[in-house]
Amino acid sequence: MFAVIWDVTLKELRQVIRDRRSFVLILVMPILLTVLFAKALGSGELRDIPMIVLNEDRSPESNVIVTAFSTYEEIRLVGTVDALPDAQARLSQGKVKAVLVIPKGFMRRIQAGEDVQLQLLLDGTDNTSAPIVEGVARRVIAQYNAERAIRGLWEQGVKPDRGLQLIQPVYVESEIRYNSGLSFLGYVMPGVIGLTLQLLTVMLMAISIPRERERGTLDQLMASPISRTELILGKLLPYFGIALFNVITILAVADRAFGIPIFKHLPLLLTLCALFVLTSLATGLLISSVSRSQFQAVQIAVFYVLPVFMLSGAYAPIELIPEYVRPISYLFPLMYFSRAVRAVTLRGGDLAMVWKDIVVLAGFVVLFLYWAVQSFHKRIA
Amino acid sequence: MSLAIETTNLTRRFGPVAAVRGLNLRVKSGEIFGFLGPNGAGKTTTIRMLCGLLLPSEGSACVAGLDVSREAEGIKRRVGYMPQKFSLYGDLTVEENLDFFAGLYRLRGCERGDRVADTLRRVGLLDRATMLTDHLSGGLKQRLALGCALVHSPAILFLDEPTAGADPLSRQQMWDLLYLAAGEGRTVLVTTHYVEEAERCQTIAFMHHGRLIGSGSPEQCRAELGEGIVEVDAAPVMQAAELVRGMAGVTGVSVYGHTLRVFSRAMDGLDRSLQSSLVEDGILVRSIRPVPPTLEDVFLVLTRTAPAEELAG
Repeated sequence: MFAVIWDVTLKELRQVIRDRRSFVLILVMPILLTVLFAKALGSGELRDIPMIVLNEDRSPESNVIVTAFSTYEEIRLVGTVDALPDAQARLSQGKVKAVLVIPKGFMRRIQAGEDVQLQLLLDGTDNTSAPIVEGVARRVIAQYNAERAIRGLWEQGVKPDRGLQLIQPVYVESEIRYNSGLSFLGYVMPGVIGLTLQLLTVMLMAISIPRERERGTLDQLMASPISRTELILGKLLPYFGIALFNVITILAVADRAFGIPIFKHLPLLLTLCALFVLTSLATGLLISSVSRSQFQAVQIAVFYVLPVFMLSGAYAPIELIPEYVRPISYLFPLMYFSRAVRAVTLRGGDLAMVWKDIVVLAGFVVLFLYWAVQSFHKRIA
Repeated sequence: MSLAIETTNLTRRFGPVAAVRGLNLRVKSGEIFGFLGPNGAGKTTTIRMLCGLLLPSEGSACVAGLDVSREAEGIKRRVGYMPQKFSLYGDLTVEENLDFFAGLYRLRGCERGDRVADTLRRVGLLDRATMLTDHLSGGLKQRLALGCALVHSPAILFLDEPTAGADPLSRQQMWDLLYLAAGEGRTVLVTTHYVEEAERCQTIAFMHHGRLIGSGSPEQCRAELGEGIVEVDAAPVMQAAELVRGMAGVTGVSVYGHTLRVFSRAMDGLDRSLQSSLVEDGILVRSIRPVPPTLEDVFLVLTRTAPAEELAG
């Protein structure tokens, strides 16, 4: 049994290594993907949203408002326009995400004690920046109103610090306990590691058996007394070795280049990664043993890998997924993996915190491997 | 004499199509058994069932004393199979391929090394042991495939068109290897559609539309043919063929170069009536004589007289 598994392993390794170009790709691609994904997804904080100002008032008061906007790093003022159609054109071309309109008579009406409205035109196609600009605008106006109130009280003879007490009685002090830099990168990195590891392993394994079928070599294999378990495990083992190499390089990159505290929790993270890689290999083998052609295998693999990205909480918390879709998330090993790795890297979690995820991942390995063996048939039809 | 292979009413359907129908076959131990028939006759399907790769739809087959439906894995240990399409690893070397299959057949240690070396020597690939299999010529690939089917010393060898597309020299070498294997007491079942290769077999079986339409030794097959043959050397030959085809008692005519082979069930006086009819129509007849049938003739007659294909058999 073990001797035959080793024979298959050796044969697979020889084949992988002999295909130089794809072997190098297998070793290097995960590092590149990790860096790429992390760079692309990790900068989740939105800054420098371009905004343009249509200041019809051109008064000292209106300038106070404009200056106030410019102090927020979320906003980048890209200039001024003189007419509304101009502003709308910029907005519709997507050159700016927001237009601040300060109407004529702004200062006069404020000083006369009349109601005044500022206008904010927002590009709703980008549904993340619109609320951010809106939030900034609320803060700017709140501050402006407060300052005006204090000034008004002062004119009535109330000292400014007393005035401040009068109008701002409540303070909220919040302290962020985990991921205190509130870095989106720290949140998304475990998902990125998982996605990268999964992408390659699932694909490589998925085409493994159909490739032999297409080349005809499967006929000769099936005519021999090799057992299904020997074949499946013999194909798993070499790719497990290669994937472990990928795990080590990716973890090193995550620690050194992205400052994720990996080395602090190395044994636990290695265990999680090894188990997760095994679930992916087993998933790939399952796809492999039910596919009739490489094309079909790639098709199924893509249909698996894509929803995983959206549904497993790798990129965004699964709480954002509607409740009736959420049960699907629990079918993906990546969900348990990123949850556990997050617990370890962001909360400094230990085995006690992630053992349940480890058990679930191990369960996936056993289930998928058993399923893969059962769905592979040593007969042609 | 014990039987290496025995099938009873062996049938295999693919959907509505019956690829093999009610096959009854008896292959004696140690003989070279030739399977003849046109493409699509069911030869490959039969071999795949006998190797335990394909489950019969009906009937049963016994290979090396084991039942193909229930003991397929046991059969796989005792037989060697060389598929029609080359199916070894092109990105492994010659020796790595042999060693890999030796391992799958549970050969270990010194025995394994010895068997691989013996096989390399036997199929004449010792000096190419470290060559990538993809770089071998067609004939050498076929010899390596035979080597992989032989590496575990099987009692029965199944060879599906082992000489397809090979040049005459490669074919000769392949047959030398088959005789060597048979000489060691192995049963060799080989499919071919080269009729001259069938002459080399001890027993031949003709398959057509999934049925066995005749079998026996090459001599028997020729002797028991229900039709006689007259060879006519005539000019113009096509015109002569046209004329003879319409004559009473003639069942078939085939043209070879400038001669005709005329088949008939009633041989008495056939040469004389042929002669007079042809001369009457102004055709030059150089010679006319009865000839013994070749296996090709046998094959043609058997396929012509076989019952027409039934639908959804």
